[in-house]
Amino acid sequence: MRRTVLSALALACTAVLASTVPAFADGTSPTPAPASVKPTAEPTEPTTGTEAPTTEPSVAPGDPTKAPAESEVSVVPSGAPDTGEVTTGSDSGGEGALIGTGAAAAFALGGAAVYVVRRRRATGA
Amino acid sequence: MTLPSRRAFVTAAMATLLVGCGGGGGGEAGGSDADRGGSASPSPGSAGEASRPAGKNVRALARSVPVGLRIPAIGVDTPVMRLGLAPDGSVEVPPVEADDRAGWYRHSPTPGQVGPSVILGHVTVGTYGEGVFRDLRRLRRGDRIEARLENGTAAEFTVSGVRTVAQARFPTEDVYGDVGRPELRLITCGGPRSGDGYRDSVIVFAELSSSSPGSS
Repeated sequence: MRRTVLSALALACTAVLASTVPAFADGTSPTPAPASVKPTAEPTEPTTGTEAPTTEPSVAPGDPTKAPAESEVSVVPSGAPDTGEVTTGSDSGGEGALIGTGAAAAFALGGAAVYVVRRRRATGA
Repeated sequence: MTLPSRRAFVTAAMATLLVGCGGGGGGEAGGSDADRGGSASPSPGSAGEASRPAGKNVRALARSVPVGLRIPAIGVDTPVMRLGLAPDGSVEVPPVEADDRAGWYRHSPTPGQVGPSVILGHVTVGTYGEGVFRDLRRLRRGDRIEARLENGTAAEFTVSGVRTVAQARFPTEDVYGDVGRPELRLITCGGPRSGDGYRDSVIVFAELSSSSPGSS
C-alpha cells in the first residue's frame, strides 16, 4: 500500500518535471511573470529569424536569369554522342587466352594422373 | 527512510535524468540543423549538400570559350577543342587519335554562362587505348571540375550528379534543356560494349560553384 502510494507520487513528479523541461528549453529563461501577463501577443512574434531564408532564395541568380527569351542551347543535337571507339580485335584475344589457359590446365591434370598411376604400379610391384 | 520510498526516489531521479538528457540532446540536434540550414556557403572542402547552395548564388560569367579542363578526382587535365554538328544532326566528337582531348559543343553556352555547357570526350579511342574521359563514371557528387577559359579566367564547377543511361534513351532534355543558371555537362560512353560501340552514355551534371582569375 505504502509502496504503491510512493510509486505513484514518484511517477507524478516525473511527469511534472518532464513537462517542464521542454518549456524551459523553448521559452526565455527566467519567465518572471507566468501568471500576470501570460496571454500577451509577443510570443508569436519572436520568430523573426526564419524570415531571412524564405524571402529570396528561389530568385537567387539575379543578373543571369533576366534574359531567358530563347533556348540556352541554340541548336540541340539528336541522339547520343558516339564517344567510345572500340577495337574489334580485343575480344578475340581474350578468348584465345582463355582457351590457352584451359588447355594448359587439362595438360597439367593429365600429367599428374599419369604420374600417380605409375607411382602406384611401381610401389605395388 | 524505508526501502520502498528509497526505491521510489531513485526511480524518480533516474527518470528525471533521462528526460533531461533527452531534452538536451534534442535541443542540440535542432541547433545543428539550424546551423546547417543557415550557412549558405560553408567550407568548400565539405562535399555533397554543403556545396550545393553555393552554386545557386554564384554569378554567371561572361562568354569565353573553354581552352582546358581539369578534373583532379580522376586525374584529367586536357585541352578542349570546339565541336559542332555532324551531318546526321548528332553532335561531333573529338577525333580518334593518340593525343585524345575533350571537346566543347559550340552551340551550348561557354562554361560559366547561364545554361548547360556541354563538353564531350572519349572513353576509349580504338587502338590508341583509353580516352580522356575513361574514368568519368567514377566521379561523385561534390567533386570539382575546373574549366579554363580563353580570357584567362577559370570556372569551377561542383558535381551534382552522375547518370549512366542507355544511348537509345538519351535524355536530350535533361542534357540540353534550359536550366536558368550556369551548369556543366560532361558526356562520354559507358556500360557494356555492344557491336562496335557502347550501350550506354555516362553524363556528369555539375553546377558553377566559383570563378577565379586563373592559375596562369
